[in-house]
This record gives sequence, C-alpha cells and structure tokens, in this order.
Amino acid sequence: MIEAKGVTLVYHDGTVALRNVELTIKPGELVYITGHSGSGKTSLLKLLIGMEYPTQGSLTVLGQSMKKGKNRKIRKLRKRIGPVFQEFKLIERRTALENVMMGMRFLGISPRKMKEWSISALTKVGLEHKINSKVEKLSWGEAQRVAIARAVARKPELIIADEPTGNLDYSNAVNILRILNSFRDQNTAVVITTHATHLIENQEDATYIDVNQGEVVIRKKG
Amino acid sequence: MKTFFYNIGYFLLEAKRTIRFNPLSNLFSVIGTGLILFLLGMVLAGWTVGDRLIQTLQSEAEISAYFDDGTNQQDALLLVEKIKGIKGVKNAAYINQNEAKAQMEDMLGNESDILGLFDENPFEAYLDIRINLDDMDQVLSNVRGLAGIDYVRDNRSVLEQMKGMMDGLKVLGLLVILAVGITTLIIISHMIRQGIYNNKNQINTLRLLGAPNGFIGFPFVLAGTVLTMLGGLLAAGTLYLLISKGYGYLGGFLPFLPIPSIGEMRDKVCLILLAVSAVLGLAGSLFGVTSIKNED
Repeated sequence: MIEAKGVTLVYHDGTVALRNVELTIKPGELVYITGHSGSGKTSLLKLLIGMEYPTQGSLTVLGQSMKKGKNRKIRKLRKRIGPVFQEFKLIERRTALENVMMGMRFLGISPRKMKEWSISALTKVGLEHKINSKVEKLSWGEAQRVAIARAVARKPELIIADEPTGNLDYSNAVNILRILNSFRDQNTAVVITTHATHLIENQEDATYIDVNQGEVVIRKKG
Repeated sequence: MKTFFYNIGYFLLEAKRTIRFNPLSNLFSVIGTGLILFLLGMVLAGWTVGDRLIQTLQSEAEISAYFDDGTNQQDALLLVEKIKGIKGVKNAAYINQNEAKAQMEDMLGNESDILGLFDENPFEAYLDIRINLDDMDQVLSNVRGLAGIDYVRDNRSVLEQMKGMMDGLKVLGLLVILAVGITTLIIISHMIRQGIYNNKNQINTLRLLGAPNGFIGFPFVLAGTVLTMLGGLLAAGTLYLLISKGYGYLGGFLPFLPIPSIGEMRDKVCLILLAVSAVLGLAGSLFGVTSIKNED
C-alpha cells in the first residue's frame, strides 16, 4: 500500500525535513506517527498525498510512484485517499452536508448515493443534527468531525489524518481517535499523526512510528 | 460525462455563488461588456446598412463600349455574346441609336426639349455592360482588346471611389470587431481570474481531494459565460429600443437609400450580439481558467 525506500525530503530553503525514510504500510494497518512539532510528521503526510515529492529515494502510494511531473496521476490517486487536514480545509459558506458531498462529486457517484453516504458518515461522527449547519457556525470539534466525515464518506483505501487531536480537550480527542479507528477495515489503512502520545499508547494492533528531526524510527509494528 | 450530468445542479449553484460573491465588481463587468458589445452592435448596424447600399451600387456598376466605324448591328450582337463570356461581366446589352436617345431624354427630364435642336439623332449605338466591381480592371482590358470596339467609357474614378469606400468600411468594421473581441476577452478572463483568486482556498482543497481541473473550472466558465451573455443582453436590448425608435428617421432623412427593413435589422443585429457574447464569454472564461492549470 505504502512503500518508502531511502526517502529524503529537502525544502527549497535547504531545510532537511526527512532523512532516508524506510517504511512499509499494509492495507488495514493502523499507524500512529508521533513526534514534536517540527519533527517532520506533517512533511511525511505531505509526501503521502503528493503535496511534496521526495528529493531522494522512492515512494509508492497505492501503487502510484510519487514523482514530480505526474500531476494527473497523482490527482487520480488522491481520489482514493481520505485526508483530514490539520486546519480542516472545509469550504466556507457551505453546510456540513455540502462539504462532505464535495469530496465525492468528481468520483462518478450518483447524487442519491452521495447524499446517502454523506449523511451516514455525518451520523457516524455524531453530527446528524448539524447536517444543514454552515461550517463557520460549527465549533472546532464539530468542524474536525465534518472533516473526518468528508474523508471517510467516499470510502477511501487510505485515511490520513494530520494532528486530528490538536486543540481538543481530552475527551474530545479520545472521541476523535475512536471515530478514526472505527473506519479502519480490511482494505482501509489509517495513518494518524499526533504529538499527544498519552492518548494513543497501548493499542495492541497499532504500528507506532517516531519522527525526530527528520529521522523515522518504527517503534512497534502492529 | 456521467460525473458532469450528476453535477449539473452543483455547477449551476457554484456559478451563482461565484457571481454573487463579488456582486458589485461583476455588475460593473456586465455593464462594461454591455457597452462594448453595444459599440459592436452599432458597427454591425452600420455595416448592414452600408452593405445593402454597396450591394445596390455594385449592381448598378456599368461601363459603356462604343464601336468602330463600320460595325453593323449583326457584328455588335456578336460582340455582346463575346463580352457576356468575359469573367466579371454580369450582363451586356446592345443599345441602338434610338434607345440611346430615349435614355438621354429620360435623364434630362424637363430639359429634354434641348435635343430637338438637333436635325439628326446625335447619339451613337453602344454596349451597356454591367460588371462586378472587383473585376473592373480585367473586364476593361478584355473589352478594349476586342476587334470592333473603338473606345470604352468606364467612369473609373466613380467606380474606384465606390470600391475604396466599400473596402474601407470592411476594414473599419473588422478592426472594431477585433478590438471589441479582444477587450471583451480581457475583461472576462480578468473577471474569472479574480473569481479564482477569491476562491483559491476552495480550489486548493478540491485539488487535494483529487478533483480534476475541468471539474474545478467549469462553474467559473459557466459564470463568465452567463455574465458576458448578460452584457450581450443589455447591449441587444438597448439596440433593440434604439433601432425601434430611431431607425425610421434614417429612412425619412434619406428616402432614396435602399436600407434594410426595421425588423430585419433589429433581429439580425440582436441575434448576432447574443451569439457573439456567448462565444466571447466562453472563450474569455476558458482563457481565464487556464490560471487554475498554471497553478497546478
């Protein structure tokens, strides 16, 4: 599903974000990527979704080689990924339902199914009563859950969540992680970055990866 | 294609949102486009009148060929057939002495009594040749070269002035159309780029979710086309009123001019304006959305 071999990422200003990353993630795997702010967690996720490209080494995501100049193929690959961005990236002046449906509109799904899947996803994240609320009227936690619903409603093969517990209190953070875990199945892998290590420890079947100053270390394989 | 049909409602709604997001700026764009298209409509109307005038004048363009001494009527009729076969000749007719005198009497009207001062008919038989203005030089050279023709009166200066006027009008019209086309394209593409800039966060999110450029750009193309067509409608409406109220005066001032009817003029100009606005709107919008691709 994901295979990184000797991946290094250097930004234009010379900052080395990731060094020689060796990583394999299989379908259905739950992966927690931990590390301090600025350690390289988000850079790793950016590579997985094609927002950045490896400076060295090779990276394959869902069978697609992640190289610069393959925009069209990478755009197609993104349709198979459910991303939850740190800053949510919800579309303003639209309702929660419209935002979730927006993630599916270009997938060739019929409007009836789109609506059905969106309402189901919003219900799963506990927002059935906010379906028609404009996203700017939602609380931080609610907006976070709309972003998750958008990512999962389109039934992706890979869910990537960047700091989904940031700025949330303990109970809300645990709830968000529980929701994300619930979407993992035989075919869908879930990759979550967080710096809140106390929330994720001791999960038997999870893989734990530590990122420190661009170095990636697999602490425990699930 | 399936995705397109599934999302028609979404595209229309997004286009409406794009238009309503910056209403004042879009209103000014519609008015600006309308004014430019109005100018195009005026040129088209002038062109239509001019075209009709020139067509009439062109059909009247003629030269006269006079015979050598000793050419009889039978020779003259043979010459008529030869001349009819020359490229650029629309028709040729033999005018005998009596017909030539009758024509002059018609032209002189009340003054025709003056012709009574002559003991004999002073007019010669000749050939009346109607020609295509564009082929004037070739026709003149061919007719002059025919055996039995003494000289040709060509009214060259008048005919050349007519031809020059016609060419000038065409060039002027084309320049105005070009200017209007470019200006409209610039206004619309700028408006679309502004819309794209205003929605850059949304566009970026859609990209990250995997939306293709066509899906992202279509609502903007739709908005640009609709706004330009609104400008076209504004221009067509104003011209419709102007032609309905003012066109009759033109016929009153210049009663001898063969101008097109009000209905013909109004329908032609308004339909062309609407069609041109749709084409320019589409082209300008497509040009504008290339900025989405450029940012990829």
